[in-house]
Amino acid sequence: MIVKIIMLLLVLFLIVCALGAGFTKNLLVSIVIFMSYSLVMSIIWMFLSAPDLAITEAAVGAGVTSVLFFATLRRINAIDARDRKEEKHEPGKE
Amino acid sequence: MSRVRSDYEKSFRARFRRYISGEEELKDVDYMPLFEKQIADERAEDEKATEHYLVPPIKDPQEDARLYAEYSGIKWFRRLYQVMAVVLCVAICGVLIYNIAFMPGFGSADSPMNNGVSERYLEKGEEETGVTNIVTGLIISYRGFDTFGETHVLFIATIAVMILLKLRKDEKPVVAEGEEEGGDIILTTIARVLVPMIFLFGFYVLVNGHLSPGGGFSGGAVMGAGLILYSASFGFTKTAKFFNEKIYDIIKVGSLLLYSMLIGYNLFTGANGIASVVPLGRAGEILSAGLILPINILVGLEVACTMYAFYALFRKGAI
Amino acid sequence: MNEWVVFSFAAILIIGGLLVSLIAAFGLFKFRFALNRMHAAAMCDTLAILLVLLGLIVIDGASILSLKLGLIIVLLWCASPVSSHLLANMEVIVSSKLKDNCEVPEQEEGGASES
Repeated sequence: MIVKIIMLLLVLFLIVCALGAGFTKNLLVSIVIFMSYSLVMSIIWMFLSAPDLAITEAAVGAGVTSVLFFATLRRINAIDARDRKEEKHEPGKE
Repeated sequence: MSRVRSDYEKSFRARFRRYISGEEELKDVDYMPLFEKQIADERAEDEKATEHYLVPPIKDPQEDARLYAEYSGIKWFRRLYQVMAVVLCVAICGVLIYNIAFMPGFGSADSPMNNGVSERYLEKGEEETGVTNIVTGLIISYRGFDTFGETHVLFIATIAVMILLKLRKDEKPVVAEGEEEGGDIILTTIARVLVPMIFLFGFYVLVNGHLSPGGGFSGGAVMGAGLILYSASFGFTKTAKFFNEKIYDIIKVGSLLLYSMLIGYNLFTGANGIASVVPLGRAGEILSAGLILPINILVGLEVACTMYAFYALFRKGAI
Repeated sequence: MNEWVVFSFAAILIIGGLLVSLIAAFGLFKFRFALNRMHAAAMCDTLAILLVLLGLIVIDGASILSLKLGLIIVLLWCASPVSSHLLANMEVIVSSKLKDNCEVPEQEEGGASES
């Protein structure tokens, strides 16, 4: 019973993460949400007694894919542009 | 040392090689003007034929606006496109949810998954392949052809990323100055402790693939993540001391070729009912299960190389 | 008798860990500035996990499983403070509201504006 409740909570979290990753405007936030999606997914694989898939999901989904996404954002200057905008904001405030 | 003829640079072969690698236009080769004249003639004829259809260049902005209003079918099409996309998504969702209602419950006895095939794998798997972790036996032995294809897909994906992102020799690297040196002192100190542990864990998962959960793909992914952590904390110059492009080529292509040979032998003996020369050993020992252990290690090396290659190509455009 | 001592000790440790993580979750939602929030989250990352895993070790006694749990503690105590440190570093470089929320030393500020 308690396993069922935990599974239900995890699946609800998964759905919320999937919707959030799609609907956020900021790409960086979207990637972080996607990362948490992968972690929850690996826990669900553990509950479904598939530890092979859990290890792979945690290493590939949460680790390598997010690093590749970050590298891509860096490559297309999506992170840098955001930094510069906020830095420009700073001297105006002082 | 091979002797290069003095007129090699001017020969058609050398020119063609340069043309293939995009360094030179293949224009002034002897027989090219003939073709070019023909092509130019055809192009002129084409232009003459389509002269009437060409819209004259617009100077007046009001005229421009009028033309835009006239040809605003594009705008209408775009709106229709959005509406149709939403409708299509909702329709597909509805069909899928409707179909889910007819699926058997999770783990129920009368679902079509519980047929004789999976039962036979679970009963005879340990005896036939000599593994205690039946998933690896299934992936590498019974469904060896799928894994073979997947590994080739990884190889092809790396090649595609290389074609897209690899820098030519005369291009500047994209890594900004100062970034190459790596992170701060806390990160490097901890990475010095953590990276060997990650590698050890990855290798454990890799080698114990036929005994406990894990196997080639999981262990390779963990090892690749360790390599990425090393190069992110110490910089690419330090990583290149033990993992540069030459070693990468040797490991990647060598492991793929060896894997192809081993799986070919496996498929040949399996299809013809010949007993393999590699003994299965006692199930549960580390040196057992025939060819599954070397195949696991080779797949893991392949996956680790792919992960690191993706990271390095995305970050600096070379390995 | 002995079993009850072990059980109550483990229960105290695990409940303490859960309490710490509850307080961390509360702080995560109460604080407004990113560095304060990170402080709360780092408590949950290290202290709460240490207490819970120590409780599990006490329950299990001396076995290979408790050795693995101890290794998990070492790994987490190595990894998560470093990631928190890197995130805080990024926040200090990027944030525009740093001056409003904490004192910034002069030379630090000069270095930040250069980079």
